[in-house]
Amino acid sequence: MTITSFPIWFVDVVGSVLMIVFSFISVGYCLQLKNKAPTDIIINYLLWVCVALAVFAISRSAGHLLKQIFLLIDRRDLWTAIQPFSGAVNTFTFIVVASVTLFFERTWAIYGTILKDRQALQNAHEELLYLNQNLEQLVEKRTEALVISEQKYRRIFEVSKDMILVTRTDGRIVNLNPAGEQLVGITAAGDGNLEGRFFQSFLSHPEDWNVISRHIEDHGFISSAEFDLILEGDARRRVLLSGSLSRNPSDEGETIHFLIKDIEQRRLMQKQMAQADKLASIGELSSGIAHEINNPLGIILGYTQLLLRSEPPHSDRFSDLKTIEKHVKSCKAIVEDLLNFARTSSPQKENLDIHVVISEVIGFVRHHSNLENIQIETVFAPDLPLVLMDEKKIKQVLINLLMNAIHAVGRNGTITITTGLNESASRIAVEVSDTGHGIEQENLLRIFDPFFTTKPTGEGTGLGLSVSYGIIKGHGGNITVKSEPGRGAAFTIALPTTAPLSGR
Amino acid sequence: MGKRSRYIIAVMSFLGILLIGSPALATQGHAGIEGVWVHQFAHIFFLFSMGLLIFWLRQAGLVKEPGWRYIQYAALFFILWNADAFLVHLLDEQMLAVTVTQVRPWHVRLDAAGGREWVALLYYMVKLDHLLCVPAMACLMLGLRHMLQESHRSRPDEESRR
Repeated sequence: MTITSFPIWFVDVVGSVLMIVFSFISVGYCLQLKNKAPTDIIINYLLWVCVALAVFAISRSAGHLLKQIFLLIDRRDLWTAIQPFSGAVNTFTFIVVASVTLFFERTWAIYGTILKDRQALQNAHEELLYLNQNLEQLVEKRTEALVISEQKYRRIFEVSKDMILVTRTDGRIVNLNPAGEQLVGITAAGDGNLEGRFFQSFLSHPEDWNVISRHIEDHGFISSAEFDLILEGDARRRVLLSGSLSRNPSDEGETIHFLIKDIEQRRLMQKQMAQADKLASIGELSSGIAHEINNPLGIILGYTQLLLRSEPPHSDRFSDLKTIEKHVKSCKAIVEDLLNFARTSSPQKENLDIHVVISEVIGFVRHHSNLENIQIETVFAPDLPLVLMDEKKIKQVLINLLMNAIHAVGRNGTITITTGLNESASRIAVEVSDTGHGIEQENLLRIFDPFFTTKPTGEGTGLGLSVSYGIIKGHGGNITVKSEPGRGAAFTIALPTTAPLSGR
Repeated sequence: MGKRSRYIIAVMSFLGILLIGSPALATQGHAGIEGVWVHQFAHIFFLFSMGLLIFWLRQAGLVKEPGWRYIQYAALFFILWNADAFLVHLLDEQMLAVTVTQVRPWHVRLDAAGGREWVALLYYMVKLDHLLCVPAMACLMLGLRHMLQESHRSRPDEESRR
């Protein structure tokens, strides 16, 4: 086929010129880029490629132009001489471009890592520089923060109302806060030295320490466990103990941090509430029974007294009926006591001076009992306010308490009646204490129960204290007992005062 | 025949070839068609490297930037150009498939071996290889220009940040 060669010639010539121009412009751009970032490996790669392509463009395009010129002037021989050299340069430039491209990716990856490391080093350097320049200030700031923190936690330690204790794992006390010292009775003036003391020595049962330490060893902590502490004078105090092992060992080993809360008051209150509940239930039951029995007893007593009228005195039948009358009266007295305990009858209250009432009761008791070697002492607080009370019932309570005290002291002893005022609670207190044999611990909880008595059969009904309890509760007051075997007993009555301490 | 005997025979044969053969020259000659082969290999190497470049650019996500996108197009045109040039060399210098004769000014006659006119037409078309390598070079240039402009733009930003 015959075809025009002009397009080939045109494309060849124009293309060759453009190749040279574009490649050199590219090299120029690359050089500018390299000036901006001389160490940038990517720019270096592009520069290599552009230079190789520029060489290729010169070699090939100049070759092509020369070829056209030589062919036009009919000097093919010159072209034949140059052609191999041009071709070899072209081949070489291809290989250069291909080679740098092949290594480009690997170099790029390494360069990326280097850049990342350089950035990290730069950051570290900047940080070090900052620390170096501001070290003094930073240390000062940190120290200040530490002092504030120390003060904050020291304050918590010092002012806490609960006991905070730090011990070694063997129980050796490291630190104890003032509340703790106060609780266990360690004073700076006294045995304030905690050196070498062990926490287990403050436990009422030292073997409890094994339970505590084993639990902490197994679980790393102990939470809200109840134990008894021994206080000064062998008193015991119920506490709620929580503690945890400090996993951050100091130079001297691990420590256990305890928080110990005194729950004695709460426990006593719970006990009292349980007791009050129990007595209220018994009272309800008793009043039900008493009402049911009271009516038949009234009928029996009435018919007995009717029969007695028609019987001649000194007859056997009269004597029998008298016996029935006596026992029925006795039963009625018990039933009335039960009703008093259950507070079914409303008291006839009036404002009275408790000291006058106490004095009258003491006089009555002295008159009716043999008190040869028994001292009754009174310690009356001055200016006690008047108390709204049912005189008869309060007297009954005081008589009950005094008679019990007399019975407890036996032949020799002292009974003390002390009065006092608790202004904050607006209550007066009357304490009847004796130097008698005291009350056993197990009996203390049952002492206000109806029909509970430690007296021999026939000597007491066991209703005296129950009735007293009912009467005091009926007055909105409270009656408590404290006793230790061999050290006597003390009953305390608390009664509300009449409006704002103004009796006199 | 034992394994050991076969081994001895093989070694002896190899030594025989080395010692009995005609004297060899110390260096190999590179005249003739060998130059074309080397050039063709270079084209294939170039083509392959451009293919890899496209792959890496795409893998690294660089083609999202206009500068690198142009360089990707440049690599694509270079691939096409290498294929074109390879074909020209094959037809022209290895297969001697086409004979070119000047019949009058600006006109040539293309005679394909075996009278296959399509080969002559293909030869004519692939001879216009600058239509591929010039766009390749232009794309490379544009890509670099973009990168340069980008660096001009980012430089004041960096300075303002400082």
